[in-house]
Amino acid sequence: MFGHALTQACRGLALAGGAVLLAIVGLTMVSIALRELTGQPVPGDYELVEIGCAVAVFAFLPYCQLIGGNVFVEFAMAWAPLWLRLWLDALAQMAYASIAALLAWRLTLGGLDLHGYGETTMVLGMPVWPVFLPIVPSLVLLSIVCLYTTAMSLWKARA
Amino acid sequence: MSGVEVGIGLFILMLSLIALRVPVGLGMLIAGMIGYATLNGWYPLINYLKTAPYYRFSTYELSVIPLFLLMGQFATKAGLSRALFETANHFLGHMRGGVAMAAVGGCAAFGAICGSSLATAATMGQVALPEMRRYHYSGALATGSLAAGGTLGILIPPSVVLVIYAILTEQSIGTMFVAAVVPGVLAALGYMLAIAIYVRRHPEAGPAAPRQNLSTASLLNALAVGAIFVLVIGGIYTGRFTPTEGAAVGAFLTAVMAFTAGRMRAKGLVECLLGAAQQSAMIFLILFGAEVFNAALALSRMPQEAAAAVAASGWSPLMVLAVMLLLYLVFGCVMDSLSMILLTIPIFFPVISTLDFGMGPEETAIWFGVLALIVVEVGLITPPVGLNVFIINGLAPDIPITETYRGVLPFLASDIVRVVLLVAFPAITLTLPKLL
Repeated sequence: MFGHALTQACRGLALAGGAVLLAIVGLTMVSIALRELTGQPVPGDYELVEIGCAVAVFAFLPYCQLIGGNVFVEFAMAWAPLWLRLWLDALAQMAYASIAALLAWRLTLGGLDLHGYGETTMVLGMPVWPVFLPIVPSLVLLSIVCLYTTAMSLWKARA
Repeated sequence: MSGVEVGIGLFILMLSLIALRVPVGLGMLIAGMIGYATLNGWYPLINYLKTAPYYRFSTYELSVIPLFLLMGQFATKAGLSRALFETANHFLGHMRGGVAMAAVGGCAAFGAICGSSLATAATMGQVALPEMRRYHYSGALATGSLAAGGTLGILIPPSVVLVIYAILTEQSIGTMFVAAVVPGVLAALGYMLAIAIYVRRHPEAGPAAPRQNLSTASLLNALAVGAIFVLVIGGIYTGRFTPTEGAAVGAFLTAVMAFTAGRMRAKGLVECLLGAAQQSAMIFLILFGAEVFNAALALSRMPQEAAAAVAASGWSPLMVLAVMLLLYLVFGCVMDSLSMILLTIPIFFPVISTLDFGMGPEETAIWFGVLALIVVEVGLITPPVGLNVFIINGLAPDIPITETYRGVLPFLASDIVRVVLLVAFPAITLTLPKLL
C-alpha cells in the first residue's frame, strides 16, 4: 500500500520533470525560430533552460533510486552470500537517505538565503528562491524513497 | 600529511566504498564530503552544500545531457534501428559475415543520433540477432559483433562522455564532436575488417546470405537519420546552435519521427520520459559526486603535485600517455566510463598539458580526449564487467557468455590497432576539425 503510493509519487514527479524537459525542447525550438526569423531569441531563454534542467534533474532522483537505476559495481562483492550483499545495499541506501535529508535541509537554508539577498536571474530579473520550492520536496521524497529501499533490502535479507 | 597522501587516501576510501556496492556517484560524494571536511572543516562543507547542488545541476552547459538522452529515447522508440540495419544489410548482407557487418554499420549509424552504448547495443541487438540466427551465424560472431558494435554508440557523436570531457577541459563541444567523427568511422570499418578476417578463417561462423531487398520506407528513414546527424552536429560545430539547442532540435525531430511512425502515443511518450529520467538522474548523481570529490581533491593539491612529479620524473611524453591509457583499460574492466573520465581528467589533464607531443595545447587536448574516450569504452566489452556483453547476453540467453567474450576478441584486437594508429598519427583525429 505504502509502496504503491510511493511508486506513484516518484513516477508522477519524474513525469513532471519530463514535462519540464519537453518544455525546454519547445522553448528552445521557438527561440531558435525567432532568432532565425527576427534576429531576437526568446529573452532569457538560456537561464530558463538552466532553471528547468535543475528542477527536472532533482525531480528524477527519487524515481531513479526507487527502480534501482544508479550505477554500482557488482563485481567486487559477487562472491558474497546474498544476505551480506543485501546488508551492504541497506547501508548504502541508509547513507543516501541521510545525505538526501542533509541536502534538503541545506538547500532550504540556501533558498532562504537567496530570498534574503533578493538574488535574481541575470536577464529576466526573476527571483531565484522559488526554484527551490520544487527542489526541496524532491529531496525529501528522495530521502523517504531511500529509507523505503533500505527497509526492502533488510526485509529481503531476513527472508 | 602531504596533499598527495590525502588525495591517495580519498581515492582509496572512494574505491573501497564503490567495491562495497555503494552506487558510484554516492561513493564519490561521501569520500568527497569527508575529504572536504577534513581539509577545510565541517562548517565550510555544510555551507558549500547550501547552494552547490543547485548550481551544479543548473548550468547551461550540462543541460545538453538530459536532452541528448531524451533524443536517444525517441530515436529508439521510433524504431530507427530496424531501418538502419535493413539499409546496411541490403549492401553488406550477401557477403560472408555480411549480416554481422550490417549490424556494426547499423550500430554506427544509430550511434550518430544516440549517445549511449548500452542503448545502441540493446536496440540493434533486438533487430539484428534474429537475422543472424536465421542465417546460422555462430553465437560468438553474432553476439560479439553486437556487443562491440554497441560501443560505437558513444564513440560516434553525440556522446555524453565527450560532452563531459569538453566541459572539464574547457574545449568546444562542437570541435570535440567533429574530431571524434573520423576515429568513429574508422572504428566501424575496423570492426567490419575484423569480421571479414574472422570469417575467412572460420567460414562456417558467418555464411553468406541472399541479397536482401530494401524498402523505400527504410531507406528514407536511414536518410533522415543522416540528415538529423548533419543538422545537429553541423549546427553545433558551426556555432549556429549551442550544444543544448542542437540537442533540443535533435530531440524534437526524433520525437516527430517516433510520432509519425505511430509508435509514440501517450504510453510511448511516458516510457521515453521515464527512460530519460532514470538515465539523467544516474548521470547527474555521478556528476555531483565527482564535483564534490574533485573539490576535495583540489584542496589536497594532489593534481598539481602529481603533474609536477611527472614533469620531474623525466619520463617521455609517450610513456606517460601509454601508462594513462593502460590505467583506463584496467579500471575500465570494472568501472563505468563516465566516472572514470570525471575522476581522472582533473589529474591526468594537467599532466598531459605540460607534456610536449609536438602540437599545440588545444590539439593535444582534442587528441587526448578522443584517445581516452576510445580506451574507456573498451571496458564495455572486456570481462569481468562488460556491460554491453551483459546486455546482448540478456537478449540471447541461450548463447553462453563465455562464447560472447570469445567473440569480442577480434574486435578488441581491432580496437588496439586503432588506438596505436591514432597515437602514431594524430592527424587522423585533428584533420577534420581543421578542414571544416
